[in-house]
Amino acid sequence: MRKLFPSLFVASAFAALAAHARINVVTLPGRDTVQLTVYNSADLTLVKETRVLTFRKGLNRLEFSWANTLIDPTSVEFRALTHADDVDVLDISFPPRVTNTLEWRINSEFAGEVQVEIRYFTSGISWSADYVLEAQRTEKLAAVAGYVRINNNSGEDYENAQVRLVVGVIHLVDEIAKLAAMGRPGQLPVPPQASAMPAEAKLELAKSVRLLERSAAVTGQAQVVKEELSEYFLYTVGARDTIPNGWSKRLPSLSTNDVPLTSYYKYEKERWGDAVVRYYRFKNDKASRLGNEPLPDGQVNAFRFVTDDLLYSFVGRSSVKYIPIDEQVELELGHDSEVLVKPILVNWTKTDLQFDQHGDVKGWTIRETWEIEVQNSKEIDVIVDVRRNFSGDWRLTTRAEYENVDATKIKFVLPLKPREKQKFTYELTTRCGTNATR
Amino acid sequence: MKNSIRWAVGCVLILYTSEALARVKLVALPERARVVVALGNPSATLVEEERLITLQKGVNKVDFSWRGVNIDPTSIQVRALTHPKDVIILNTSYPPNENALIWEIASGGAQEERVRISYLLSGFNRDIVYKAVAEPDERSLTLRNYLRLRNDSGEDLTEAEVNIGYGAAFKKTIAHEEVLEMLSERIEGVAIRKILTWDAATLPWDPEYEKKTVGIPLSYIVTNNTAAKLGQHTLLPGKVRIFIKTKEQPAAAGEQAGEGVTFTGEDWATLTPVDREMKLYIGQSRDVKVTQRKTKDDKTNIRRNNGNNVVLHDTDEIYKIEIENFKKTPVDLVLVEHIPGYWRMAENSHTQQFRRKDAFTFEYHLTLPANTSGEKKTVVTFNINRLNVQGNEPTTY
Repeated sequence: MRKLFPSLFVASAFAALAAHARINVVTLPGRDTVQLTVYNSADLTLVKETRVLTFRKGLNRLEFSWANTLIDPTSVEFRALTHADDVDVLDISFPPRVTNTLEWRINSEFAGEVQVEIRYFTSGISWSADYVLEAQRTEKLAAVAGYVRINNNSGEDYENAQVRLVVGVIHLVDEIAKLAAMGRPGQLPVPPQASAMPAEAKLELAKSVRLLERSAAVTGQAQVVKEELSEYFLYTVGARDTIPNGWSKRLPSLSTNDVPLTSYYKYEKERWGDAVVRYYRFKNDKASRLGNEPLPDGQVNAFRFVTDDLLYSFVGRSSVKYIPIDEQVELELGHDSEVLVKPILVNWTKTDLQFDQHGDVKGWTIRETWEIEVQNSKEIDVIVDVRRNFSGDWRLTTRAEYENVDATKIKFVLPLKPREKQKFTYELTTRCGTNATR
Repeated sequence: MKNSIRWAVGCVLILYTSEALARVKLVALPERARVVVALGNPSATLVEEERLITLQKGVNKVDFSWRGVNIDPTSIQVRALTHPKDVIILNTSYPPNENALIWEIASGGAQEERVRISYLLSGFNRDIVYKAVAEPDERSLTLRNYLRLRNDSGEDLTEAEVNIGYGAAFKKTIAHEEVLEMLSERIEGVAIRKILTWDAATLPWDPEYEKKTVGIPLSYIVTNNTAAKLGQHTLLPGKVRIFIKTKEQPAAAGEQAGEGVTFTGEDWATLTPVDREMKLYIGQSRDVKVTQRKTKDDKTNIRRNNGNNVVLHDTDEIYKIEIENFKKTPVDLVLVEHIPGYWRMAENSHTQQFRRKDAFTFEYHLTLPANTSGEKKTVVTFNINRLNVQGNEPTTY
């Protein structure tokens, strides 16, 4: 249901009377266009609408009201798109004892139709990304489809709207929903001494969005056009659409086939105990038939084709972090008992004992021999990443290849064929007490 | 009203009232052409159903709604099967406060299309139940694998192709609130090993001091490999009931004795991938008696600090284990011993049967001949030295 009413007074009749007893004769110009720029990191949408109003020469008063919506009254802006030099906003009044209403006093040197733009922030519109990954039976290639879902709980129906979605994290000093609940500009809160971001950042962002609007050429149905914008990424949904209040809409945003995929398994006792955790890995780059845009964070449903007629098996559900271009994507798909990593401490010795002046033990050295069994009971190639954490003055000797992750963590990465079993060993020497040299 | 999933193809008129949205629908209801239930993922049931819908050239609206059915709405997706390049899913709309969605589907022509919708359904669960009948020699068994389906999803599934993640799919009709059990696999001659496990950390060392006869845990070991006539797929977790074949008493003197079975115990089978072992604890044996004694326990190389307190020492320990088998058949027995810290084996009576499991555990894998009690008993001895003992040695890792 439409609840936003800009009302142009035909005459400035009765305006001098007490505001709560105003009798207005108004015209109700319809919206010509509406554009929504929806942010996903904050409950914020920039709404831009255009309408054609008929001005008379001299003073015009324009009332704008928004009952039962979630519009931030401090954000409402007006500008003339045609005859801009002839139309000036003299002031804006928020009438007493009336909420969700403002009145622009506009001086026009031109009599006739003027196209105007009204812009404001609203809360209650959100968007999220989600993905469907379809792995081939060998799990070496996958089709990746991305979607965006827009939810409108703003109280307003936006008909035939162009929708743009911003991927990025912005800073706000006030929640839009709180400002909206006040119905009119309230007393400004005292700004903190050292703000993380100047208040004008919000305006700057709105400005850059506006600049971009001019260049955005949007054509074609069901297409999502993506553009880089400062530290943000802007998705513009090609087709105009109506999203009534309370409704959600999901649109395809990307689709690609034959993305190289790796079945990657991780073992780290300190994180997951004895369980081996399964990941699908792929890269958001051109070589992987992706890499045209960063992938917004969202939920992924992963399937694997299991029959020739492409029936699915449900692999799992995961959520991905924001993935910049060229970054690796790792979908965590839960524990998988069909890949086993079993570390066995096969020998433990304590030697090189040193004694202090009181005859107590002050230094000793522990030598451990570890054997790691890795077994793939699956029918596909896998890569297993085994991480081991050490502390103190430790030294490692092994014939197995490994990589230092940091000062206390190493990883062994082993490719395993279907049904393959491997073993590797390492010797760990830990110098304790006064034997430690680092 | 009956729980249902409905498909509606046609024009969906969306009317707005002052406060609430009402949708008036003029619809055609396509029948299900196929239903597939995938149970391969133990934590989620995936349903795929196919329907034949008639599309007009241009943009069509297809309405999918469900009532009283536990569908995860975020999992629903649709695929065009007949003309995948010509039939495009443009978008999906979700009306407020309804278990429904509307797809806008563009079709290049007026045509019939087979579409497949996939969704996760909760309330449809499966259990695996195993029944095993061991041969009297307990070297092999017949394994029957039953699938028990419980449908509390709210939806009747008619002629559904059920896929449990391995083997061929099978067709079943399962009504809402119905429990259906079926044999999914029967394998004869599955090789098993029967072993008794005596663990020094959990069982009493000297049965003479016990009021009751000490039972030694008895297990069957099944290896999920081709040598055991298995190895085709992961064995899923479930309850295993184990029976053993017996000869029935003849009904009358002179009649042929029939074959029967006796229940010997049950256990939970853990998930067992291919080439791994499943150990089923089925009961206790009281026909094997194990007596373990420490016959020497000396401290050596004692080092004291200036306060005359012992800060370090070695040990010289001898253990003697006497094992009696009162059964008329040989028995496989595993003795499990736990020695903390740094130690060395000085002497060992059964080096061939000795297996070092890890730094602090070793085992003897013994085969006890039949009737080896009294003088014929088996005696295992070992002498170990623990080194550089401070009293804070690790026992596990």
